[in-house]
Amino acid sequence: MPVIRTEQLTKIFRVVRKEPGLRGSLKALVRPRFENIAAVNQVSFEIDAGEIVGYIGVNGAGKSTTIKMLTGILVPTSGSVQVLGRDPHRQRVANAREIGAVFGQRTQLWWDLPFIESLALVGRIYEVPPARYRQLLKDFEDTLGLSELLHIPIRNMSLGQKMRAELAATLIHEPRVVYLDEPTIGLDLLAKERIRDFIREQNRGRGTTVLLTTHDLGDIEQLCPRVIIIDAGRLIYDGPIATIKERFGRHREITFETSEATTAIELPRDCTRLAAEPHRLTLRFDRTRTTASQIAAAVMEQIEVLDFSLAEPDLASIVRQIYQGGLREVEGNPRS
Amino acid sequence: MIHAVRREARVFFAFAAMVPKLYLAYNAWVVVEFVVQILFMLVFVAFWRAVYANTTTLGGLDVGQTINYILLAQIVAPLVQSRLVSEFGGMIREGRIAIELLRPVDFQARYAVESLTSLVVFAVQKLPLVLIAGAFLGLRLPSDPAAWGAFALSLVLGSMVLFLTDWMFACLAFYSTETWGLGVVKIAVATFFGGALVPLQMMPAWLRSIALALPFSQGVAVPISFLAGVTPVSDLGALLIRQLLWLVGLGIASRLVFRQAVRKITVQGG
Repeated sequence: MPVIRTEQLTKIFRVVRKEPGLRGSLKALVRPRFENIAAVNQVSFEIDAGEIVGYIGVNGAGKSTTIKMLTGILVPTSGSVQVLGRDPHRQRVANAREIGAVFGQRTQLWWDLPFIESLALVGRIYEVPPARYRQLLKDFEDTLGLSELLHIPIRNMSLGQKMRAELAATLIHEPRVVYLDEPTIGLDLLAKERIRDFIREQNRGRGTTVLLTTHDLGDIEQLCPRVIIIDAGRLIYDGPIATIKERFGRHREITFETSEATTAIELPRDCTRLAAEPHRLTLRFDRTRTTASQIAAAVMEQIEVLDFSLAEPDLASIVRQIYQGGLREVEGNPRS
Repeated sequence: MIHAVRREARVFFAFAAMVPKLYLAYNAWVVVEFVVQILFMLVFVAFWRAVYANTTTLGGLDVGQTINYILLAQIVAPLVQSRLVSEFGGMIREGRIAIELLRPVDFQARYAVESLTSLVVFAVQKLPLVLIAGAFLGLRLPSDPAAWGAFALSLVLGSMVLFLTDWMFACLAFYSTETWGLGVVKIAVATFFGGALVPLQMMPAWLRSIALALPFSQGVAVPISFLAGVTPVSDLGALLIRQLLWLVGLGIASRLVFRQAVRKITVQGG
């Protein structure tokens, strides 16, 4: 049973096009020129209960706009969106009761109040029974380490502390669906780990459905078996992370350290040279057409090799490829 | 039904209970504001005494009534002035509106509750000002409890009339990202037509009829006139009906406006 379903979801913003300078400002005031921008363009997907889905794309791709439509804050220009069987905008309050959202760069807590006050208020707004509230606070303690935060006002918290507080406040009413918009942005590795552990725990322990947008591919690799990639408002991939890795991971890089100069070397078949340093040779090859050992053999025949290493592409470089237009390879394979 | 109402009430009470705490987070301002207000009152009293130097009544009010009225206006007008316009402007500009819309409560009802709570918190905070005005500036308050009752009742209703009026202004923030100017104009209009600077009785007939056709006087002139001895308590019934009509009309209009306006929302960034 899908808990989130979007169909041909589209949001078009009308923006005033302004030329630079005072003259441009005046012109825009007198006779504004409008331009329609499709922030989200006919995006359809379904997310089942208990999934963690990574929603990725470059800045301005339409991730946040989608989330805002899913939470009922923005009204779609066309297409439809359903969350837990409701239209999130029309039934905003009913929807809000069952979802939670963290916008990494904003806070839902009261800036000047100690965290405990904010949290208690959130608990009361969502009508969490007092006993349950205390229980959850205890449950969250291990992963989030709340006790050291309770009496600090939000404005005095570090980024990492703030995000821990934010997550606790978002999950204190045990929402069925949680949207996390860049929850690890700007955090150090340790803090990131903590946040990821917590998300995983909530997903496994309570079956919380999570839609996660992030630029941090570590988040994706560790948390999301499935990703949806969006670019310029359009959905360009929806499927398992493994498929992406496989399709885009066809290329390998092999690097040789040599005692002699590598300039005169004749390249083996089916590979291209990447780095051009005198005592180092980096070759890129398609592993479906040749193998590392064939290449290594060809190189070692010509030159004395001191050392060599083989690198598998990481998700970051794969995603970079996709963003840069390499998507055609997966376009024909949408999730059915 | 009763259960649902009680549940809702508990949620709103949670918001209400927050108001004094938030307010106390800024207690340095309370002192500064206090001093400024006393200065303003001194200036106003001096001004009106000078105006009355050569006359005994103006617009049917004697000097005692006018000074009573003006001092009360100085104390009450800030109580009923909501900050909705700048609040909405800030929320939309900074994108906080997204977070506020995610809270599982009726958006308008929540702000109405917070506004009523601030009215009470501010009223308590203004008590020393009332004492000072009574001891040194010539404020004479009635001893008749009926006058106080009429004042309290019409103040609460009037503050809600102003809240709903402000709500409509504030909704303009959804269409224009610049709300500072809007806020300034609104406060100027509301202060003048609300009767906080000059009693409505002293305005020329045409200006007065404009003031009475606008909602602003419901929150300032109407309630304080009971305390200043300008309006007899016997007028209460008619005035309350008028306030209720304003409430119903503005209540419906403001919800319609908000429903339309919120569709316009463009949360920037993020």
